[in-house]
Amino acid sequence: MHIPEIFKLLGIAIVIVGLALRLRTTLVVVTAALVTGLLAGLPLFTNQGVFEGLPYLTQAGSQEGIINMLGRAFAENRLMTLFILTLPAIGLAERYGLQEQSARFIRRFKAATAGRLLIIYQLFRVLMGILGIRLNGHPAFVRPLTYPMTLGAAEATARVKTVDSLPVKTVEKIKAANAASENYGNFYGQNLSPVLPGILLVYGVMKGLGYPVSLWSLVKFAIPIATLSVVIAAIQFWWFDRKEAKRLAAVSESRQ
Amino acid sequence: MTFLATITSTLFSLNTVYVMTGIVLFVFAALNLLDRTNKTRFGTATFWLTLALIFALGSVLPTWVLGLMVLLLVAIDGAGRVGRGVASDDEVTMSGQIHAKESKLGNKIFLPALFIPFVTFSFAFVFKRLGLNPNDGALVGLGFSGIVAMVVGLLLTRGTLKEAFQEGRRLNDAMGAVNILPALLASLGVIFTASKIGDLIAQGIHKIIPGQNLFLLIIANCLGMALFTMVMGNSFAAFPVIAAGVLVPLIVKPFGVDPAMVAIVTLTAGSTGTLMTPMAANFNIVPTALLDMKDQYGVIKFQIPFALTIWIMHVLVMWIMIRTL
Repeated sequence: MHIPEIFKLLGIAIVIVGLALRLRTTLVVVTAALVTGLLAGLPLFTNQGVFEGLPYLTQAGSQEGIINMLGRAFAENRLMTLFILTLPAIGLAERYGLQEQSARFIRRFKAATAGRLLIIYQLFRVLMGILGIRLNGHPAFVRPLTYPMTLGAAEATARVKTVDSLPVKTVEKIKAANAASENYGNFYGQNLSPVLPGILLVYGVMKGLGYPVSLWSLVKFAIPIATLSVVIAAIQFWWFDRKEAKRLAAVSESRQ
Repeated sequence: MTFLATITSTLFSLNTVYVMTGIVLFVFAALNLLDRTNKTRFGTATFWLTLALIFALGSVLPTWVLGLMVLLLVAIDGAGRVGRGVASDDEVTMSGQIHAKESKLGNKIFLPALFIPFVTFSFAFVFKRLGLNPNDGALVGLGFSGIVAMVVGLLLTRGTLKEAFQEGRRLNDAMGAVNILPALLASLGVIFTASKIGDLIAQGIHKIIPGQNLFLLIIANCLGMALFTMVMGNSFAAFPVIAAGVLVPLIVKPFGVDPAMVAIVTLTAGSTGTLMTPMAANFNIVPTALLDMKDQYGVIKFQIPFALTIWIMHVLVMWIMIRTL
């Protein structure tokens, strides 16, 4: 049976459509793997052991089967899930106030403006990345912590006492900037640790493609972009401060 | 290999760490099975038990058995049978703040968490000094760091082992089946490679970009990665495809480039896509809800100028690194 080459791309189409439709990710990925392998003419199982000579399930020859490949690759890459061993320790620390103490730590950084605070928060987030610590930043830090702190800074700039006195546009921009600061720090900071999933994924995939790399060189080559991410974000937040300062000064003047 | 190195590599091996992870997962499975507030406790327990077995026995079971076990994991998750108990749901409280016990530990509470990178790097360092693979050192270190951090945490807080495992399970349950996604995606990459998908995409791109123009190929690589990520909402899912189809056949192989150098920059080129897509709901849409924003796309709009700038930087950094290093 000969299938035109181009149909092998169906697997990629399945991934794109499946994830776009928000279907269960694990199911989409495995379906794509099975379909791609079958369209490429690979057997389901390797022709050996209990499967030797079975029709349909195997083919003559020593071609590795799709299911065998799936099991082998998954087992080889289970190192990506090793962090499970650290969960009891982290969970215990959280039970005894890890998050609260982190909050106290961040609150100590008093900054004059919202933008500067967010630059500091992003640096904190990058530091967590370097240490290989995972955070669920938006609910754990942004909403309860940095967001109110940046609002406070804006209120001080505008010389008002409540959020309601701030321009709606400014408040909305501050919210967006808070979420962005978390994303920037998280996305580019996490590749500075050899044990966070980004580096481990690249390590596993490149090994699978026949180009093994070392964890340390991956981290090393992540440094330029991580540095640039901090610089570019700092410029954006500085610019944000400048623009909002004008709006807030207007509020301050109109109240006098 | 010296005597010391032999001892170290047998006692502190990846296999030991995999077995320990299997044991922790086994406990998580048992705790879920006993949790009557979890409506899917049988499915959930089977899921974590299967993963525990893959972890502990992954090096000895035949690959076809492992493959079928992976299919079982996906089937349980696909049927929506991986869940978590109401009690653990209650304890999550977004930031975990409400249910924390009163403690006067102050900054000492950071100690267990700090032991994790410390032990990890120490292992990598010792492995390197003994002439062993420092990659394995970091991974074995990560495994043992969890144990060390737990012991430190127990001594520090005077909490119980039961508390540690219940809290660990809470964190694990909150992530759920997402835990197995990176390994699953790497497997997808392996099957794509065996199916020669990469060569197919590479041929297609060669029709658009004839010849060996490195700069245009870098643009194709970074653009493809960002666009794929935007459509899928997940740079981890896009990476195996782009790595097999563009990065390796069109840049690494023909130009003899250091694979580590270009691979990690390709991954973060995907992150620029993540910043611009509503498909990455966890990062871009959920926060608008958390912060009660009027514009659902407010976060994305704020991020676009940054994302475009840093995308251009990806192209330039990759080009400069290839040309100079």
